[in-house]
Amino acid sequence: MTSHDAPIAAGPQGDSLERDQNTLRSSFFLTNEFGLILLIVLFTVGFGAAASGFLSPFNLFTLGRTAAVNIMIGLSMMVVIVTGGLNLAVGAIGVSAAMFCGYLIEGLGLPWPIALLGGLALGAALGFVNGWTVVRTGLHSFIITLATMSIFFGVMIFLTRAESYRALPPVFASFGKMKILAYFSPLLIVTLIAALALSWLYRRTVLGREMLAAGARPEAAELSGIRVGRVFILCHMLSGVLAGIAALMLVARNGAAIPAMAGQLGQDWLLPAFLGPVLGGTLLQGGKASVLGTCLGAFLVTMLTSGLLLLQLGEFWIQSFLGLLLLLAVLVDKARRTYLARRNLA
Amino acid sequence: MSHFVRRLAAATIFGLGALGAAQAADDTKIALVPGGPHPYFAAWEQAGKDAAKDFGLAAADYKVPQKWELSQQNQLLESLLSQGYNGFLIFPGDPVGAVSTADELVGNGAPVIAGAGCFKDPSQASFCLGTDTGNSAYLGTKELIKAMGGGKKRIAHFTGFLVDPNTQLRIDAVKKAAEEEGSEVVQVIADIDAPEPAEEKINAYLAAHASEVDGIITTAWVPAVVSANALRKIGDKRIHMVGIDHDEVVLQAIKDGFVDGTMLQNPYGQGYIGAFALDKLRSGCTVKADAPFKSNALTAKFIDSGTAYVAADKVDTYVDAMRAETKKLFDTFEQTYLDCK
Repeated sequence: MTSHDAPIAAGPQGDSLERDQNTLRSSFFLTNEFGLILLIVLFTVGFGAAASGFLSPFNLFTLGRTAAVNIMIGLSMMVVIVTGGLNLAVGAIGVSAAMFCGYLIEGLGLPWPIALLGGLALGAALGFVNGWTVVRTGLHSFIITLATMSIFFGVMIFLTRAESYRALPPVFASFGKMKILAYFSPLLIVTLIAALALSWLYRRTVLGREMLAAGARPEAAELSGIRVGRVFILCHMLSGVLAGIAALMLVARNGAAIPAMAGQLGQDWLLPAFLGPVLGGTLLQGGKASVLGTCLGAFLVTMLTSGLLLLQLGEFWIQSFLGLLLLLAVLVDKARRTYLARRNLA
Repeated sequence: MSHFVRRLAAATIFGLGALGAAQAADDTKIALVPGGPHPYFAAWEQAGKDAAKDFGLAAADYKVPQKWELSQQNQLLESLLSQGYNGFLIFPGDPVGAVSTADELVGNGAPVIAGAGCFKDPSQASFCLGTDTGNSAYLGTKELIKAMGGGKKRIAHFTGFLVDPNTQLRIDAVKKAAEEEGSEVVQVIADIDAPEPAEEKINAYLAAHASEVDGIITTAWVPAVVSANALRKIGDKRIHMVGIDHDEVVLQAIKDGFVDGTMLQNPYGQGYIGAFALDKLRSGCTVKADAPFKSNALTAKFIDSGTAYVAADKVDTYVDAMRAETKKLFDTFEQTYLDCK
């Protein structure tokens, strides 16, 4: 993963691109990513000193495991935010994918690798429904995914009768409980691979550049030959796949595919889905993806939750604290952009 | 509620506590963790405090997840283990999804008991200590039909969260009891164990269909309170009702004749005896292989923490009924369910 992800604003000429990159490097200390790294270091030191058990192997293991899922959820939202849209159905898609995977294993007796692929395929298919509907209707994805969130979840509940699939191969639960060097969950590796793949997509591939361009200025992208509608649909499909991966990671963590894994209508995923990308500096207007920032943002939020729980500040304060953090991040980002604009750094 | 807890606490402190104090493990740190915020579990807080005092525990703390979310409960439990808690009484946020976390806690040397709701077998939880919810709902419905004068009556059933493992058991039991008496459950409204949905759905239903029902059975705390208030507002005592639990609103409605009675549960006993049992398990006791567990739809290791019907004639002394249930269970608990050599 790179330290700073690709903004579409880079100039078309080689010299210009180099100059822009140099400028970006020199202003790294003003980026969201640097701020997040600093905060993570500060809070690690603070919680390590103040919260008993924060640096214990078990806590670091569970912290990593929870962060892995939260980061994946954040990435799932980020790839749609890139288009200037939203995907409120990430939770519903994820749970549907996980339940379908459970059905393929328990109901049809398919081998688990095929069932995993089947679950991810359903995630992509549901993402396609979102993307196609957004493109065809011209309505904002907020409206479309708000509706499909209820539809997907409702159909899933109807078909499964809200019954869990728990007779899954032991490899699932073993993977969720596995520890690497006593501290790390293998779920982190899954997330790392997904994040690296997304970084590569946005920085090194034509498709990734097209996604950013289409998100930044759809009309301009269309004029330059990019099939914006097709790109938007692909972004939603990618979001569906990532949501499916997040849900399958939760299946490994819980040892079962359960309808309530993302709460009613999948709404429990919405806060982590937004916190990661927004804290990480992904522009809600579209056109810029910050994979590293999303990872750091989601990790910071997970770490804060863990640390505050250990400090026993009161479980009910944590939600308020996370809300304040989100607001603070937006304000700091606004101040940062104002500062950069005044100094002609951005 | 707090009045109830204080009175029950006083009884247990003097009546039961001395039995277990001598053999306690003084490093036992127990967490009593519900699935989310709910008034039913408030009695666990006092139960934990009393258990810690009576049995010489390092702590027996009531810890509530911020919301009814499995992920929140999982995170809280993981955090509590990191904080040094080494015994857990848990109401599973999901009977299946919470098993993995329970197994992980047990794997880290912390015994787990399910309280008020059960994990779905198989799990490494020692057992499930809760109300036999199906039986309670069944008995409550029978009492309601008796209060209505028997025969073919129309009953509305207001109940709790669908994710609560007990809800389906209650729905089935009410239906069974009604059918046995020739009555009919004309409406089941579930997922309303929170003030806003309960107010909205119960009031809307009664506004439109009050004339079409003869009786109401409620099998969750908030619907019982909202229904009792609704019947008081309507002012028509033609509709009979049997509630659940011991909220002051329900008890006063029984006294005033708007509600026929309530099915008491025993959350205090669950918390108190659960903490006692966890300490015993940490001190080397094991669960008897031939313990006389009951079975329900979720587990074959179920212990009924007691239930009792309280009508107007006993509403002033309802604490005695639950005190008796707790004492009855506690007196024989170790001998019946544990093997302490």
